[in-house]
Amino acid sequence: MMTTDPNSRLSVQFPGRGEQIDQLLAFLGQPTDSSPPGIFVYGPTATGKTAVIRELFAQYDSTGQQYALVNCIECFTPRLLFERTLNAWAGHTPNVSNKYANYVRCENLVDFINCVRDLLVVASGGQRADTTHYLVLDQAERLRDRGPMLLTSLLRLSELTGANIAVILISNVVWDKFRPRHGGAPDPIPIYFSAYTKSQILDIVAKDCPQDEPQAFFLTFVDAIYEVFHRNCVDLNELRHLVAMLYPKFVQPVFEKQATRNEFARLFKLCQPYFSAASERLYLREISTSEWQKNSAVASAKNDPDDVTLSIYQMAEDAETLDLPYYTKFLLIAAFLASYNPARLDAQYFSRSKGPSKRRKGAKADDALGGKDRQQLLGPKAFAIERMLAIFYSIIAEPVDSSVDVQIQIASLVTLRLLTKASSGDRLDGIKCKCNVSLEAIRAISRSVKFDIDRFLYDFT
Amino acid sequence: MPARKSLSLQKETAVDINKARQLVLGRLCGRVALPELIGLASPLDAVFSLLYRTVSNDEGNSALLIGPRGSGKSSVISKALSLVAEKRKRENITSKYHIVRLSGFIHTNDKIALRDIARQLLIEQDLENILIGSFADAFTYILNLLRVASVEGEYGQPPVLFILEEFDLLAQHPKQSLLYTLFDIAQSQQTPIAVLGVTARIDVMDLLEKRVKSRFSHRQIHVHYMQSLDDFTSIARAALHLPLSDNINNDNNATFSEIYVSRFNSRVDEILATESVAAYIATVFDLGKDVRQLLRAFVLAASHITIEQPLLQLTDAEASIAKEEASAKFQVISTISLLELCLIISMKSLVQGGSSKYNFEMVYNEYKTFMSRHLMAAATGGTMKVYKKPIALKAFEALVELEVVRPVTTAVSAESNAGGGAFSRNDMLAGSTQGARAPKEYRMVQIMLEPGQIVELMANRIDVPMVIRRWAQQ
Ligand SMILES: Nc1ncnc2c1ncn2[C@@H]1O[C@H](COP(=O)(O)OP(=O)(O)OP(=O)(O)O)[C@@H](O)[C@H]1O
Ligand SMILES: [Mg+2]
Repeated sequence: MMTTDPNSRLSVQFPGRGEQIDQLLAFLGQPTDSSPPGIFVYGPTATGKTAVIRELFAQYDSTGQQYALVNCIECFTPRLLFERTLNAWAGHTPNVSNKYANYVRCENLVDFINCVRDLLVVASGGQRADTTHYLVLDQAERLRDRGPMLLTSLLRLSELTGANIAVILISNVVWDKFRPRHGGAPDPIPIYFSAYTKSQILDIVAKDCPQDEPQAFFLTFVDAIYEVFHRNCVDLNELRHLVAMLYPKFVQPVFEKQATRNEFARLFKLCQPYFSAASERLYLREISTSEWQKNSAVASAKNDPDDVTLSIYQMAEDAETLDLPYYTKFLLIAAFLASYNPARLDAQYFSRSKGPSKRRKGAKADDALGGKDRQQLLGPKAFAIERMLAIFYSIIAEPVDSSVDVQIQIASLVTLRLLTKASSGDRLDGIKCKCNVSLEAIRAISRSVKFDIDRFLYDFT
Repeated sequence: MPARKSLSLQKETAVDINKARQLVLGRLCGRVALPELIGLASPLDAVFSLLYRTVSNDEGNSALLIGPRGSGKSSVISKALSLVAEKRKRENITSKYHIVRLSGFIHTNDKIALRDIARQLLIEQDLENILIGSFADAFTYILNLLRVASVEGEYGQPPVLFILEEFDLLAQHPKQSLLYTLFDIAQSQQTPIAVLGVTARIDVMDLLEKRVKSRFSHRQIHVHYMQSLDDFTSIARAALHLPLSDNINNDNNATFSEIYVSRFNSRVDEILATESVAAYIATVFDLGKDVRQLLRAFVLAASHITIEQPLLQLTDAEASIAKEEASAKFQVISTISLLELCLIISMKSLVQGGSSKYNFEMVYNEYKTFMSRHLMAAATGGTMKVYKKPIALKAFEALVELEVVRPVTTAVSAESNAGGGAFSRNDMLAGSTQGARAPKEYRMVQIMLEPGQIVELMANRIDVPMVIRRWAQQ
């Protein structure tokens, strides 16, 4: 069993989780104490639920035969869940020598209950039945759609098998949203993993401090990042991601002899382009980690801030813009217009003889614009391919090269999911489609072919 | 709090204290029966005599045991079964009988049930070939195997007690062949079996098909709601009080000194009489009288029993109660980011504007409109910024993840139905998948909070600017 006080050791490892660790250890208790049949560990993302429990069991039970850790996304059928659990409790690992066989085959709940009883009660002559066995189910909210009885039966596993079993559910959804309708699931004991406070966050991120960097200096930086981001995101993982990406840039001027560690204000100023331009894109993963590490060299403080900003935008843009053939871009623009503009106004917008701008004013007078149910907010509506083609031929300036097969272009847009089919059938003529591209993306595409899409959009803001 | 380790308790060895903890925890966690079943004398009596008559007089019997969740139905049955065994032991009767336990939770169809019945009756034969025929045939075949296996000269067929937990779920199996066969055999009196269905559904009789109902004895044994709060409290007392001696696991007998027992028990009484604890017990009593919920509140206190601290601590009980009572829904969302909060308020104002469902684009539009109006007014001191759409979308998705915001799923198919006319199956499919295929910004959602709750959300936060507060209160 545990030699030194496990709580203090774990609490050092996980700042801010002392209370939760205390509670868990109390419920785990001595190996042969009865455990509550269900424990519900919940709280927002990145509050250490899985990590704490994983570590706690690793230290609590070195043989690993008293607990099973099962991720409910990974084990997407009850059978996988059952077999994984029994493997763990039986100390069985599928490998080459056993031809990757599981400990036993378990098709359904009855098999599972019987196998558990055989393993823990019968086979050991009742010895193991008194030792608590744990089943930890991570991402437990997934259990709700694995059949109505699974969750209930798991929470009654101890009653159904007669063995001393505690089922620990981990989720970020509250228990109220789990309770099955027939009401047979006994409520588990709740343990709440609260969101970290700022000082706890700083304590945790302090552990990420690179080895040869002064910690106080590092923390000042983390503090600044926290202040910028906590308003839109309180997720610890996101913060750590940003810190890891941006800190090297922040200290770079020190090594390049542009500033000293004492000149925080100056360092922040040099770092400004990253704060404003890069951080948002890193957060949205528009720039991938590897891309950032590879390409951010040019973004050195020695360079002109404008260049820096430009190179960052470039990185994001590369990922963003769609590289499509010239005519295909127009097809997509036509599809976008057909999805969002009312068909009744097509004649006004797209008749070749007159430009759209004059007519637009007339349209405005007829309708109340900017309403809550304008198409921009409702999303794309389905349109007939013929209508899209009509718009296409009207917005394209020069006659289409006869070698271009429009049907094939449409088919490839469907394959790319830029158009989605809204009706069934394999033939492309006569079907209805929707345009699956955002306003920002279509604007970028329009710019690339020098087409002013905003003149043609009805009721957009 | 009294001194942690008092002189008078030093007689108690660490081993004994461990046993005290194990005993109390075992009761609280439902693994050890309470020393007495409070207020359950009459159902216990009825169940006992029903089972006993089958076992000793070879009678066929059937009955339903009906009572709310956590009211002690299963406990009554285990107690009755052990009383049957005891009585026969006293009377030196050694004839064999079997017990078969089924539960609607796990025996989800009749085939699974039949296979498990055979397993519980220790029939090793491969059943695949007999499972082809009708349920009744297969079942009779299994019972006949028992007859052959029985070595008793006098009784050809040993009695079998069938305990059917979650009877209402078993009644939902197609054709109810399991229930029909069991009731039929019980009624025909050829084979001594007792069928005891257990359920929390009062209207369970309505679930039975006519032919099944006609073979059922119509005996109902009710476990009633506990009448008085005092009785309810005494369940907690029975679970927490230590006896002078006890055999926890058959072989390991524990004896506790009189002084320890009396000090332990009077501490229990003190705790139960404390205002906060008594109030909690009263709440559970009012909310449905679930004994499991009552006992759960003391697990933490019991698990802290050690040689240094051999008595229960009030603070532990109070801490558990506080955790039970904290409104879980609020806990998780009380710490969401300011942006997420703003999106929630946007949804509130959409609801108040009469929309019952909305998508991200509409929510973002609402948010942007509000923010730009107020940032232009510039009264905010400039600490707020309008977040770009992709950032807001990420925050929005976090809310969906927490299930504070739920997708509206049925809308599309309802619409296409309302469209009228006969739809081919294909059209319906296309229609219903359409909703899922819409880009996520346009999928319709609903907020799962009441406007009042949204306002309340802001009460305990210090980081919410005044404008936002006012916006939420509109
Ligand atoms: N009247 C009572 N006296 C003593 N203990 C009780 C009483 N009622 C319930 N309990 C205790 O409450 C716990 C739950 O009881 P039990 O499992 O028998 O309920 P149940 O009626 O079978 O519930 P369910 O319908 O959910 O199966 C057990 O630990 C039992 O010891
Ligand atoms: Mg029960």
